[in-house]
Amino acid sequence: MSKSMKMGMLGLILVIPSFLLLFVIVVIPIALSFVESLRNEAGGFDLSRYQFLFTDKAMRSNIIFTLKVTVVSCLIVLIVSYSLAVYMRFSSGRLVDLIRKTYMIPIFIPGVIATYGLINLLGNHGWLSRFLLLIGITLPRIIFDEKGIIIANLWFNIPFTAMLLSSALAGIPNSVLESAKDVGAGRLRVFFQIVFPLSYKTFLVAATFVFMGVIGSFTAPFLVGPNAPQMLGVSMEQVFGVFQEREQAAAIAFFTFLLCSVLGYFYIRSMVKDETARS
Amino acid sequence: MSIQLSIRDLSKRYKTGEGVSGISLDVNKGELITLLGPSGCGKTTVLRSIGGFLEPDSGDILIEGRSVVKLPPEKRPTSMVFQGYNLWPHMTIYDNLAFGLKIRKMPKAEIRSAVEEVLRLVRLPGAEKKYPSQLSGGQQQRIAVARSLLLKPAVLLLDEPFSALDAKLRHEMREELREIQTETGLTMVFVTHDQEEALSLSDRIVVMNHGHIEQIAAPQDIYDAPETLYVAEFIGKMNFLKGGAQGDKLVVGRMEFPNAKHLTGEVVVAVRPEDIILEPGTSQAAGLPGTIKQMMILGHYAEVSIDLGDHGIIRAFQPRDKVKELQLGQSVNATFNKVIAYSNN
Ligand SMILES: Nc1ncnc2c1ncn2[C@@H]1O[C@H](COP(=O)(O)OP(=O)(O)O)[C@@H](O)[C@H]1O
Ligand SMILES: [Mg+2]
Repeated sequence: MSKSMKMGMLGLILVIPSFLLLFVIVVIPIALSFVESLRNEAGGFDLSRYQFLFTDKAMRSNIIFTLKVTVVSCLIVLIVSYSLAVYMRFSSGRLVDLIRKTYMIPIFIPGVIATYGLINLLGNHGWLSRFLLLIGITLPRIIFDEKGIIIANLWFNIPFTAMLLSSALAGIPNSVLESAKDVGAGRLRVFFQIVFPLSYKTFLVAATFVFMGVIGSFTAPFLVGPNAPQMLGVSMEQVFGVFQEREQAAAIAFFTFLLCSVLGYFYIRSMVKDETARS
Repeated sequence: MSIQLSIRDLSKRYKTGEGVSGISLDVNKGELITLLGPSGCGKTTVLRSIGGFLEPDSGDILIEGRSVVKLPPEKRPTSMVFQGYNLWPHMTIYDNLAFGLKIRKMPKAEIRSAVEEVLRLVRLPGAEKKYPSQLSGGQQQRIAVARSLLLKPAVLLLDEPFSALDAKLRHEMREELREIQTETGLTMVFVTHDQEEALSLSDRIVVMNHGHIEQIAAPQDIYDAPETLYVAEFIGKMNFLKGGAQGDKLVVGRMEFPNAKHLTGEVVVAVRPEDIILEPGTSQAAGLPGTIKQMMILGHYAEVSIDLGDHGIIRAFQPRDKVKELQLGQSVNATFNKVIAYSNN
């Protein structure tokens, strides 16, 4: 056997376990739920479950609600996290040091506990509303509303996203930025033509993570979301557990998967484009 | 000759207590001046202050007669080449070079020809479409120099630009930079800790130590007449012996030299290895008697170590022919062509 062939074999052997794992816990379940989602009430195969998704009024509003909450959460998370990361990278002083030390704390608090904390803080009779009542302000409805879900999403996603973006910004050497100033670039130009392009790949990774995490989230929407409309995760659970409609639940699951793959596609495409441009 | 850059009593102290103080320096138009000193002596601090990346505590910096200390880097008529990571990795070489010109709103056609011309100057024609990662370290630094040249700065600042390159390449880059400097007549401030680089490249050298300037002079003068003991020790090889000053005479062993600096009492006498003459035998002649400890042939010359007893061990450079007359353990008489004396405190 030639050396290159041996190396090839070795590569193959190394790849097989992860490939198998991917197959067993991702590909097969998706394929199975896809097949299941195609089964209609009469036991035959058609797209009626998907038709229901887009024609049923409640379902349609669930989808729109999910997309809205996801997009709004993603936008706020990314804007806040990126600003935070930029602030931590380029500023100095006591306040920044404090933020650097504390911004990751939410990661270490279990989701359910944090969610109940939010309910206690922001609920109808929570601390904040009681405090605001004292000075004559009535807090709008936050818990059991989309605002509650969005706030919970911020809590869960900002620390990790900020950490990811911080490490990307830390990877940009000072001299790269100083060179830009040196040739005459002002702050804005340095940001938009140097800092952002050099961190946008990580930005994309972060966006993908947040999007997928939020669109498939369950705990927060279940505990602080409204009864209707619902996030797809909650709706799926209800269709599956309460109405016992496995096939319809599978259709929702597969649809959610498709939504995620759209983003995945753009992500992979931009990575490949970058690679080919530079080699 | 007009003064292009003038630094007046510049001081900068970091929170750690380190920094520079009392730096004053005039650089002539078209001059290549080098800041030389060991790592941590404050070279980068001075350079970054000129470039605007650091705000000095006190002092003034004038370029073409105008104070620039209040200006941010992007507004200063300077350009800086850093030690490494100068280029923007997500841009092609063309975009890297054109970036500053676009900011200056130069027409596209002009940018194109300027980039082409400067790439020829730095010997990388046709590199426009490449990315920095596709170039070697030396080529990347050439592009960084090119980018600065395009902006026609009043002063070009270079902070150990070649220190990450291997010795041979460093040598080549040095020569190229000197050629570019002759061709463009640009005023340059070059920072290095490598004295060979400084001696071979500069019109004048500024020797720095612990945040202050020890001496400013042409390379030859720095070498021949180091003003302070520190410079004498730092530049080239040097032997140090004890001597005495008596009136207008310096006495080292049985040798006498003129006491040019009018020193008194005990002095430190410095002598370059190439200024030592060795004669076999201990005669009654003037000089210092010693024995040969070691001989190393180093190409066209040899380094000979001589034990002078009370005066310690000195090293002398001798021509190859001369070494043939000498043997290990042999008694010799050492005389000095010239010495430099320093007061003993
Ligand atoms: N940002 C800084 N904060 C604190 N000390 C610094 C800083 N930059 C440099 N120094 C200290 O100041 C001294 C001079 O540094 P520098 O100018 O970089 O020296 P050089 O370039 O000659 O090696 C060093 O002792 C260094 O440790
Ligand atoms: Mg330095």
